[in-house]
Amino acid sequence: MSTIFECTDLTKKFGSKVAVSGVNLKLERGQIVGLLGPNGSGKSTIIKLANELLTPTSGTILIGGKKPGIETKKIVSYLPERTYLNDWMRVHQIIEFFSDFYPDFKPKKAYDMLKSLKIDANDRLKTMSKGTKEKVQLILVMSREAELYLLDEPIGGVDPAARDYILQTILGNYNENATVIISTHLISDIENILDYVVFINQGKVVMTSSVDDIRAEKGKSVDGLFREVFKC
Amino acid sequence: MLSKLLKYELKATGRIFLPLFVALLMFAGITRFISPPMGPEKWAAPAMISMFVYICIMAGIFVMTFIMMIQRFNKNLLSDEGYLMFTLPVKAWKHIVSKLFVSMLWMITSGIVAFISVLIIALEKGDITKFTEAFATFYDQAFEQLGASIYFLSFEIIIGILVSLASGILIVYASIAIGHLINEHKMLASFGAFIILSTLSQFLFILISFIPGGAYFSNVNISSYNDFISMQWLIQTVMAYGIIFTGLLSAAFFAVTNLILSKRLNLE
Repeated sequence: MSTIFECTDLTKKFGSKVAVSGVNLKLERGQIVGLLGPNGSGKSTIIKLANELLTPTSGTILIGGKKPGIETKKIVSYLPERTYLNDWMRVHQIIEFFSDFYPDFKPKKAYDMLKSLKIDANDRLKTMSKGTKEKVQLILVMSREAELYLLDEPIGGVDPAARDYILQTILGNYNENATVIISTHLISDIENILDYVVFINQGKVVMTSSVDDIRAEKGKSVDGLFREVFKC
Repeated sequence: MLSKLLKYELKATGRIFLPLFVALLMFAGITRFISPPMGPEKWAAPAMISMFVYICIMAGIFVMTFIMMIQRFNKNLLSDEGYLMFTLPVKAWKHIVSKLFVSMLWMITSGIVAFISVLIIALEKGDITKFTEAFATFYDQAFEQLGASIYFLSFEIIIGILVSLASGILIVYASIAIGHLINEHKMLASFGAFIILSTLSQFLFILISFIPGGAYFSNVNISSYNDFISMQWLIQTVMAYGIIFTGLLSAAFFAVTNLILSKRLNLE
């Protein structure tokens, strides 16, 4: 297995506030990784650093051996924790937009998923509820055949029924060599699809482990361990 | 990729500008149609209203070109939408260029459409022939006096207008980008950056007039048509200097904006 995601002494400060502090992390290809931690622990910051939306204060972050840039953006499919779609486009227009800019985008996949979630491709994004917009965004992100998917809180704002569909979508839409990193604090919902977990708190990596090891060695579920590690 | 960015930039802005242009031309036509040819003192209420709407749309268009220039840069690149734009596999300078070109395009088009709308309202029968005749005479006279350099002069004027437009837009982009570096009160910081950048460019402009030979330019003093003819070379040189200086300033604003967007991006 080769490394897809690697941080070395990664630090990010906002003024005097330290969001990510000396993180060292190495993730192999071909697995679904949970980036787990309480609110404000630095999960989103790490993902944004990987997308070059933030500049590190010090340290490096490498995607497939390269610093974030044009080349990494071609292979990374990113779902931000907020709505990044403008409100004037219709769904089919935003699909054209993605097809134009990402050679690995598969419009057919997107239309199939829209159909299953009963979203009309002619609807304007403006008229959609927040949850529907999140679904559209996830569909767009998962319709790419990327090497690395960075999903920041993908299930935070959608109802439980759609949540299941979304998790199935994530499972069903990535190939063997692709890697999925999911950041969330809703652990029990995604626990079953994870291969590997990274616990993060106050900007530091607290623990990394494969899910099998947690179950075998500690005899606990990831959710149980999380509650134990982050006990208030 | 630049052509694709331009395409989407045109779509995003065209949906605002094209209806405004159509409305302007329509109200120019309506005003023309319902107002008597006598003059404003005899206007009835409908004509007054239509004229008023026309003027409002006209003002709206020019305010809109200004707002759009700022909005498309600030909202599309540096707010939530930036999460999409900056994760596209596109270099930052292409984003700047696409926004700059489309902004310039709408400013120029707005000017042309406004001019056409004035013609629609004011043009009398036979005016076009009068205009072309007057222009032909003007051209003949100018050509007689200036010779072939009239082409060069026109070229210089056009380039001058384009470069000034670009520098006017780029100084705003650079200011917004600098404001983005500050953690709090970004708008205020951008405004401050704008004041500093414009003062700085004024200062540089004064400074270059002190370079050797610069003082000579202050001899340009046009009080009559003949002055203009006799000094045409000097005027052209001054203009060329102005264009080069403004061009260099634009390049500097562009470089600052590009540096911040590509190396110092910090989307909240």
